[in-house]
Amino acid sequence: MKVHKSLPKTKQTSKRQQCKDKWFKPNRIPQNSDSSNLSPSTAMAKLEHHASNLRKDKPNLKRLKKKAKAVSFRQVKTLAATERTPSRPLTNGRAGGPEQGSDSDESQDWSSFAKSVLYQNGGGESMEGQESCVSAKAAPGRIEEAAFVHCAERDYIHNRTVLVMQQGQTLCFRGKCLLSCLYGRVEVHGFTLEEGQQSYPLFSPSSHCPLTVTALGDSPNPSKTKKAGRLEAKAIVRKYLSTETRKRLLSEVDSDSCVILLEPLDTPLTRFLTSFPDLKELFGLSSRDIRDSSAMLDTPLSGLGITPLRKTAGGMVMSQTYREALNGLVNACAEELDGCPVILVCGAKNVGKSTFNRHLINTLLNHTASVEYLECDLGQTEFTPSGCLSLSTVREPLLGPPFTHQWAPEHMIFYGQSSCETDLDRYLESLKSLWRLYNRETPIVINTMGWVKGFGFQLLVDIIRLFSISHVVQLSSGDKVMCPQLTPEFLRSSHGWQTHPPVQSALGEDNSGTHPAQRSYTLFSIHSEFEGAGRPGEMRHQRSNEQRDLALLGYFSQLQSPEPGPVRPLHCFTPYQVPHSAVAVGVTHCEVAPTHVLYTANASLVGLCCLNEKVSGRGSPVLLSQTPVCPCVGFGVLRGVDMARGLYFLVTPVAPSVLRQVNCLLLGAVTLPNTLLTGQTGILGEPPYVTMDYSFELTGAGKLHVFKGLARPGQMKHAK
Amino acid sequence: MKKKTTEKNGHVVAWINKAEWDQVLEYLYSKDCALQKYALHRISAWKGRFAHNTPIAVESTADLVRCQILDRSGKLDADDLVLLYGTALMRFVNLITERQQGKIARPLRRLASNLKIPEWIVNLRHDITHRKLPTLKWCRKGCKFVLEWLQQEYWSRQLGSGLAENWDSQSEGEDGEEELQRQENELITRQKEMESYKKARELLISFEKEQFQTFEEFLEEDKQTSLWPEPSADMSWILAQIKHFALESSEILIDALIEDGFMVPTIEQLVSLSVDNSDDADPTAPHLPRVVLRFWLPLLKDLNSQLFINLLLEKLFVELQQLSEDDQKHRSFYIAGWISEVILCNANKNEYHYESKIQRKARLKDKIFMKRIQLRWQQLLAACLNAPCVAMPHLLQQILEDMEHPMPLDTRQKLLRLSSIYTQGADSGYDPSMEHSGQPSGIYTLESLHERLRVQSRRQVYMMHPGTVSDSLKALPERTEDFQEHLSPDVLAERAAELRGSPWQVCTDKVQWKNYPLGKVPGQSEDPSCLMVDNFSTIMVFDQQVEMENATQHNAHAGVSMPHRVTTDGLLWTHNDISKLKAGLQLF
Repeated sequence: MKVHKSLPKTKQTSKRQQCKDKWFKPNRIPQNSDSSNLSPSTAMAKLEHHASNLRKDKPNLKRLKKKAKAVSFRQVKTLAATERTPSRPLTNGRAGGPEQGSDSDESQDWSSFAKSVLYQNGGGESMEGQESCVSAKAAPGRIEEAAFVHCAERDYIHNRTVLVMQQGQTLCFRGKCLLSCLYGRVEVHGFTLEEGQQSYPLFSPSSHCPLTVTALGDSPNPSKTKKAGRLEAKAIVRKYLSTETRKRLLSEVDSDSCVILLEPLDTPLTRFLTSFPDLKELFGLSSRDIRDSSAMLDTPLSGLGITPLRKTAGGMVMSQTYREALNGLVNACAEELDGCPVILVCGAKNVGKSTFNRHLINTLLNHTASVEYLECDLGQTEFTPSGCLSLSTVREPLLGPPFTHQWAPEHMIFYGQSSCETDLDRYLESLKSLWRLYNRETPIVINTMGWVKGFGFQLLVDIIRLFSISHVVQLSSGDKVMCPQLTPEFLRSSHGWQTHPPVQSALGEDNSGTHPAQRSYTLFSIHSEFEGAGRPGEMRHQRSNEQRDLALLGYFSQLQSPEPGPVRPLHCFTPYQVPHSAVAVGVTHCEVAPTHVLYTANASLVGLCCLNEKVSGRGSPVLLSQTPVCPCVGFGVLRGVDMARGLYFLVTPVAPSVLRQVNCLLLGAVTLPNTLLTGQTGILGEPPYVTMDYSFELTGAGKLHVFKGLARPGQMKHAK
Repeated sequence: MKKKTTEKNGHVVAWINKAEWDQVLEYLYSKDCALQKYALHRISAWKGRFAHNTPIAVESTADLVRCQILDRSGKLDADDLVLLYGTALMRFVNLITERQQGKIARPLRRLASNLKIPEWIVNLRHDITHRKLPTLKWCRKGCKFVLEWLQQEYWSRQLGSGLAENWDSQSEGEDGEEELQRQENELITRQKEMESYKKARELLISFEKEQFQTFEEFLEEDKQTSLWPEPSADMSWILAQIKHFALESSEILIDALIEDGFMVPTIEQLVSLSVDNSDDADPTAPHLPRVVLRFWLPLLKDLNSQLFINLLLEKLFVELQQLSEDDQKHRSFYIAGWISEVILCNANKNEYHYESKIQRKARLKDKIFMKRIQLRWQQLLAACLNAPCVAMPHLLQQILEDMEHPMPLDTRQKLLRLSSIYTQGADSGYDPSMEHSGQPSGIYTLESLHERLRVQSRRQVYMMHPGTVSDSLKALPERTEDFQEHLSPDVLAERAAELRGSPWQVCTDKVQWKNYPLGKVPGQSEDPSCLMVDNFSTIMVFDQQVEMENATQHNAHAGVSMPHRVTTDGLLWTHNDISKLKAGLQLF
């Protein structure tokens, strides 16, 4: 990894002290580190008072149910904050390890984090200076079939399973479940779950890389003796299992093991998705799992809706550069030297941007209550259906693929297409107006599109310039160079779509002062090494259009009632109605003759937008003359048009209190998933817009189809 | 992903119904410019719906008709028109031949002739792209011809003869060659399968012959010794062959095995094995005649491996599922019998404690395998539930009892109960505990089933059972439940209160929305022109600031691409802005 840094970081201890208030760190003490400098602290008593004070004025905390735990956290934290020695900023990507006697909490946090990252990869290689500490009882790594007999027990009455994991052990699985950590600490995709925390839903569908639960083991409470820990853990197991079933487990439990509880997960989302015939097996095994026969089918977990996978299934692969970048960014966020870090993640298609983003956000959420997220990728959006740009405040970890967390972003702008090439200016203007809403008080992760050539690259340059980026993460894969390295030096001379390199004025060096956008940044280059990096996914539900459909289905699953019951198709919901003259209608992606516009709008997906202008049409429909850049509050289906009464009918999960502001319906090239139209049951007559008779055999019946890289006859010979 | 449903449920298109399609077709090819224009406008709306999936033929037709309309309007010069026609014709030839292209570029002429497009049209395209522009006369001629071609090849044949093909096969774009390659590969594998299947049958037949012979000899010799002779040398050889075959293609072997005439004996075979085939066998608890079992035992004993047994069970269940109940009683009896037998072999019941050695020996002799093997219980359970037949409760019982990680007792009981209700096994008495309080058993109406299910599902929602089981249970209530959303008066009032003062309302019409598909409302006419907007108003919108609360900084430069200030605390304009402004200034 190359870290490009041109501005030397000045250390302002007073400022950092301040920052600590915002940047709360739970204590992470690696097992093998000498805890003597922390645990027998007499200062603790004194600090306890201080700590409880702190709690009141610090809302930015990870929610913990157990008070005692939370306080003990803070103790250590405050202790560290007062006693800490200034730690060296990371400059060359060298892994910190248990910093040989250094007691700065940064390095401890660091090493523990590094360790967790290490284990994620199966604990194979160890980083420089890092010794992996392994409980003697069980080797770290995937829990294999035979082991489940010893470490898992199912409670049939409540239908849940208690699983005891030894430090470093991993559980990689397909399916969905609710995970709570009863004792110790486990890590899932960068996020650490501790005992006493709420339970989190985990989604590991066949469309994505399977999730892995890793036992971290090192108990969050340093003052606990081994014995006390063991007793506590056993008490917890007792609480959850009946006498006859817990016996085996109790012998497995030790002070540094983790006890987790897995429960079945049944939400409107999962009910709605699996009600479609094609998606029935969405949370089942992927074709690859079946091919490699990596599923362990008969385990105490199988009744819960999850299937553990053997080692053959791989799980997430993190390259060295990946881990280093992650470490570097976490450290940068902890330091906060000059304002909150503004992290931009870029790279060509399918190099793992999205996965990295989720991992990064989850990791940051271990330390801070929220992370901002700016979506600049129209195609593969994280929190919204595609075709939207958005700014979200992320407070919950992202423990599944995008379609499992279609949460309403704080701000959203409807663009209407899954790529921006038709209107680069509107794209940038939309982003700029979102950027203006960023409060700069929390770290922000900016996701960019996979279009990194030509104008796409220019837009990337613009974004780096305009949004005063402090860290750029550039992902790449294979040997093929998709776009040049975005070093600060390179950026100084490259042209964007709207921005240009500064003219070398007479003032010379002063440039940096007058150009905040030209502020220098740190570049992390990540080389993705997972199988299939840089190539589009070929398995079921992996194609980009399927992903888009899933996101939309995920979004509309919010309509389903939270109580279990039959899944309602979209057309069965009582719609909202609004007069034609009260909302404007606009088509963003093509020119439609105004008199025929309702033919496009009927039974279509619409973005619900808010214009500043007052919309009133004297009884007739109101049409937009051009596409505005305006806030969008959600999506709906224009369920029907009542021409006689002049009403639109709309089905939407958006709350009425928000819907009242909507005065504009925008249509885009992102359309409703076909299954929503073809799968309508219980209707009278034929569904509109659906036919059985369209023949694709006929010439010209298909869509425009562009062959990329058509070889000329001569070339072929040459190649052979 | 969509393949299955599209086959069943149709394809999504841009027109509401056939009437709209017919109207557009009629207007496109009418001589009246106003009607043609109308059709073009409608196609512009279709393009909005189709987004990137507009059929090439529709797009090309619209482009060419547009040229004709402009030509007839008389407002354009010949040179203008040549450019217009030229683009439309060029696009037509390029796009229509695109799909014919393979990996290597081939001459358009050849591709076009495959499509019955004459060479002169292709030459016209060549002229337009890289030679001297053709004359207007040639353009008109070309346009006329291509429109006719489109009408013949696309419009008039579409939506007519019900040649429904797969949407995905074309729209997702495998090109012709790949498709061909795939078909070829498929053909080859199919062929190979056929060959190995034949071989499997031959092997099995020779096994049967050998066994029959032994059987007859054995019958003649001594009826009292219940022992079958040791396999002969021939037999060993056959078995070795079968075993070898199974290594490579156990699936095919199993497929053949469970055919009629093998593991499911024909009537003639039964007669020659002197099995009484009267109907007194209880179909709800199938039990294989011992002779049949022993007949196949040498083979099965030889083949037994975890993989093979699992596969065999799987296939047997699939077979069972496909059997319709009435006409194939015999077959399903035997299939179920074999399943039962295999599971029985695996059972780890302890009830044989007190048997004598001889009894034990006799029992073990008939076992296909001795050691308990790992069965895929979850799948077995699912497969069993998927294959309803009279024997289902019996099999289910066996599976449930034997599972490695048994399900909760009451779930088991409920499942059994359900299955016996489903198969109308008239309470075969598997779980007396469920037989509560003199409820008239026997006749179950749909209602009583529903009631039962409702109670059950309510109780079991949080106490889920294995996914597959819950799925099969859920499938039932869904079919009949009322899909219509009924908002309670409270919810309605709350929503109304929140919307008060805005133009939005909750629709309070008494409408059974579940009857109306998306895109249809009560009272909507079938007339394709029902959605026309007669008068409308247009509004100009300036770019909106997203900050809704802070609407003071309203910057109003719609459409002008002017870079914004980078940060609020810098200079008003950056260098870039200034240089842009300077460039934009015009001194008159």
